Amino acid sequence: MNDDRFETQIREAARDYHRPPETPREEMWAAIDAERRRRRSAPRIPGLSPAWRWGIGMAAVLVLGIAIGRWIRPGVGGGPATPSASAASRSRVDVAYHLAAAQYLSRTEILLAGFRADARTGDRPDAQFLAQARDLLSSTRLLLDSPASQDPQLKPLLEDLEVVLAQIALLPTSRDTADVEIINQGIDQRSVLTRLRTAIPVGSAPARTQGVL
Amino acid sequence: MDERELISRVRAGEPAAERALYDAHVDRVYRLAFRLAGDDELARDFTQETFIRAFDRLETFRGEARLSTWLHAVATTVALNGLRKVKRFRTRETALEAADGVAGSVRSAEPDLKIRLRDAIDALPRKYKAVVVMHDVEGYTHEEIAAALGVEVGTSKAQLSRARAKLRAALADFAGEWVS
Repeated sequence: MNDDRFETQIREAARDYHRPPETPREEMWAAIDAERRRRRSAPRIPGLSPAWRWGIGMAAVLVLGIAIGRWIRPGVGGGPATPSASAASRSRVDVAYHLAAAQYLSRTEILLAGFRADARTGDRPDAQFLAQARDLLSSTRLLLDSPASQDPQLKPLLEDLEVVLAQIALLPTSRDTADVEIINQGIDQRSVLTRLRTAIPVGSAPARTQGVL
Repeated sequence: MDERELISRVRAGEPAAERALYDAHVDRVYRLAFRLAGDDELARDFTQETFIRAFDRLETFRGEARLSTWLHAVATTVALNGLRKVKRFRTRETALEAADGVAGSVRSAEPDLKIRLRDAIDALPRKYKAVVVMHDVEGYTHEEIAAALGVEVGTSKAQLSRARAKLRAALADFAGEWVS
């Protein structure tokens, strides 16, 4: 069978692919009308889309972690600390930053794993995805300005993540798939995902994606 | 009533105009949603969400393209994002069923071309499937597909070509002579 015959057979068979029934026009209109009335009457908080709520939650975790860290830092807000008190405070500071950074790193890993998976199937990131990338970019800069960036392993990772997230956040300006490829090459060349996964403490991620890709 | 007038009346909040806009486009939107989803309930959800979004965001429609093009871009976004979520949910369900040993019986190979083709289209990557359904099943042009999916016309053509190659390979054992 030649190509033309194949195409013809495919087209004929395809007509029955998920053949739709008659449009349930009145039922759908009733549902649309009811939903629009419900949305109009429901109190709305402007600007709080799911992506925004997610971002605000992330920022809150980071700010809380950083604030706790600064509050309990030795010598801040109190008199001279004894050596044993200083050690205990340092330990609490570490835990606070550790918590904030672990949350951030887990979210970033999920986002980057999703980005690579979508790139493999040729999907472009949607608006919500890009909003999450922008939120994570803000969180990255918060962390870079915090004592967490004094960690010699975390700082270069945060700097690389800042570059990658900024590239992803700027994607809407172009439809060219080459830019997605460039970002993925950057992720590979700098082993960003591997370093990210290594930096995440075991058991801290809500949904690990390692092994998916 | 021409399209421009219809849009301005919908923007003014005229219920009759909203219904007229819905009536003019609902069949094609529902057909596309059903073809992509293969499920009446999902197709209804996607169609309803498409029109709810369209009415809410009609202010952002600048009239650079036809209203039907804009509406189908909304519809494909809603359907493809919805299917992505459904696929993740179903994948987890399937994994749980398999782990429990209660998965359904394995389907034997179907000799019927339509069934084999359906399975092969279902197995295509999402964007390829969308292009095949829109072009080969629903008769959209590559220009319409490109506008709806936010890609270049050449990308639409390339994806259709790759999708057909995958279909050909998937159906190779059904009709070996198709594969040179």
